[in-house]
Amino acid sequence: MDELVKNEAGDRIYTLNLGPQHPSTHGVLRILLDLDGEYIVKADPVIGYGHRGHEKMGENRLYRQFFPNTSRIDYLAGLLYNHGFVLTVEKFAGIKVPERAKYIRVIASELNRISSHLLWFGTYLLDIGGITPFLYAFDDREQILDILDTITGSRLTYSYCRLGGVARDVDSKFIDMTRAFLKRMSSRWADYEALVSKNVIFIHRTRDVGVIDEELARQYGVTGPNLRACGVAFDVRRSEPYEVYDRFDFEIPTGSRGDALDRYDVRFREMQQSCRIIEQALDHLPEGEILTPKVPQKLPVPKGEVYFAFESPRGLTAYYMVGDGSQTPYRCHIRVPSFGNLNVLNEVLPGTLVADAIAILGSIDVVIPEIDR
Amino acid sequence: MKIKDIEARMGKQFAGCPLERDEAGVTGALWSISVPLAGLRDAATEFKDAGFFLESITALDFEDTFELVYHFNCYEPCSRVIVRMLCGHDQLAPTICDIFRGAVWLEREVHDFFGIVFSGNSDMRPLLLPEDADYHPLRKTFGKVGAYHKREVIYG
Amino acid sequence: MEKQVREPGAPVVQFALLDDILNLARANSLWPMTFGLACCAIEMMAAGASRFDLDRFGAGVFRPSPRQSDVMIVAGTIAKKMAPAIQMLWDQMPNPKWCIAMGNCAISGGPFEYEEQYAIVPGAHLIVPVDIVIPGCPPRPEALIQGLLALEDKITKGEGRNVLRRFKRVSGGIN
Repeated sequence: MDELVKNEAGDRIYTLNLGPQHPSTHGVLRILLDLDGEYIVKADPVIGYGHRGHEKMGENRLYRQFFPNTSRIDYLAGLLYNHGFVLTVEKFAGIKVPERAKYIRVIASELNRISSHLLWFGTYLLDIGGITPFLYAFDDREQILDILDTITGSRLTYSYCRLGGVARDVDSKFIDMTRAFLKRMSSRWADYEALVSKNVIFIHRTRDVGVIDEELARQYGVTGPNLRACGVAFDVRRSEPYEVYDRFDFEIPTGSRGDALDRYDVRFREMQQSCRIIEQALDHLPEGEILTPKVPQKLPVPKGEVYFAFESPRGLTAYYMVGDGSQTPYRCHIRVPSFGNLNVLNEVLPGTLVADAIAILGSIDVVIPEIDR
Repeated sequence: MKIKDIEARMGKQFAGCPLERDEAGVTGALWSISVPLAGLRDAATEFKDAGFFLESITALDFEDTFELVYHFNCYEPCSRVIVRMLCGHDQLAPTICDIFRGAVWLEREVHDFFGIVFSGNSDMRPLLLPEDADYHPLRKTFGKVGAYHKREVIYG
Repeated sequence: MEKQVREPGAPVVQFALLDDILNLARANSLWPMTFGLACCAIEMMAAGASRFDLDRFGAGVFRPSPRQSDVMIVAGTIAKKMAPAIQMLWDQMPNPKWCIAMGNCAISGGPFEYEEQYAIVPGAHLIVPVDIVIPGCPPRPEALIQGLLALEDKITKGEGRNVLRRFKRVSGGIN
């Protein structure tokens, strides 16, 4: 037997292998935990169990052919990744987009953001022991999927955006469904609040657990709701407004303690803000074209590089592409938010209880295939 | 404004290095600066002191050299900056994982994909590839490759 | 005389009628393993949640441990790094056990399979024996339900023999 690692009192340090198949690791994450009794002394996340080689594929495909990949990088927010990619290529090739298409993209993206947060809401509470909220959240999520299904024809992995617009126009049925959904949700928030946010057990389980402060977040490049929970109002939709986000009135929810409860709270309020954006976008939805008619088959992409950042439900996401003037990118890099958000666990987990590790892991909301790409 | 602050700092530190402004905003950054490989750690320290965070590290494989591209950003509107440096195919890059602790994984990822070794980073195990992987998939000599250029073909 | 080879997992002594009854019970209380690899796992969760409710078919008890489950739903892309873990999980499952390859990735690599792809295993059949394949990228929850019903029929050796099923197929439907 190897030499046993011991702590100062002479007790043995145990190594616990969590994952890659574990119900609360949200996919295929593996974490090696060194335990001193019930306390974690060292955490080493091992990733790569979902590596599919998106970046290599990007280099071997035309810009247009990469669309289906984008929605499979982060499948919970497929439309946002799709939206981000289309904006990247449009920026690179200088393609103009009609106003109506811009509004439709924003509506669809924000619906997708709510569905992603709802899924997180359900599974997070499932992780920490509440089964009912999962069923409630999925019920509401199905409404969103129905709405998106009518325009995209898909439930999860959308390829809805096109260069210069969107694939399909919205009709009155879509608008009615969306309005009905917004009405339904406006009464739903109070239910969720009563069921979860004010639940004493839930608060005890998450308050002051897994604190990430601003300095730690900056060191690891944490973005998104996890950063906003530490009190930094940083949102790409506000700091570098893309599409038509600068025309809407919405708040950026922030927390103060940076613990799991704050992260929950920030996401919860973000869903309400997304509803506000959708409402405004529906009110101001202009008439007109949905697709620029003159997008050439051969894209006018120059030599050089393009970088485009957008806000996915998990934080700052960006496409970095280098073109050599041909129809295939020379390099296709994707900056994913979960990468930094998961990396920070190296420092957040030590010193906490094993049971809290699950509460922390769930609260940072990672999508593993997004990290692994 | 942190961006003005860092521009002044970089101007002082790297007086002779070319600083390119991007007026059209295609690169997503206000300006990009090319520094020598040895200057990376000084540059990263300046960015850390100025309150920036490390957004991403990536590399490009050209026929004649690797190019490392570092994106820095801060929590203020439109303040992304690129620091780039050339790193020969047989050169080691300096690590910045003691300056930005999150860089450990980013450097491991670049090592995975391109085989660039970061001297000073004690943890160079494969991150995304299997533990026993001895290939570097994003090198233009691995697998199916569309084009393999010299750097001047793209950047002139 | 030809040597009789016993299939792995098959009992030494066989009782035809008892087997049928056992199979009936197995088919109507499949316990899948909670095991998501990628996108399809989300649709698998959706299938188990409020609207689609796999419990109607006796397959809603998702078990996190391979030792308690009967059916492995390979839901998602199998990365090369993950393949040994899947193999081990399959080996840990007690007999009788079945495997469903859900989604194009688990069937053949799907959208990620191309010439000189280095990262994935193109198809679950390369590492575990697959009983049912469900195409789609990802398949809708309805498709997963149909796949599970097909697996039930396979276990009872024919839909007509699955006397416990409460949802009969409409005649003229897919057989």
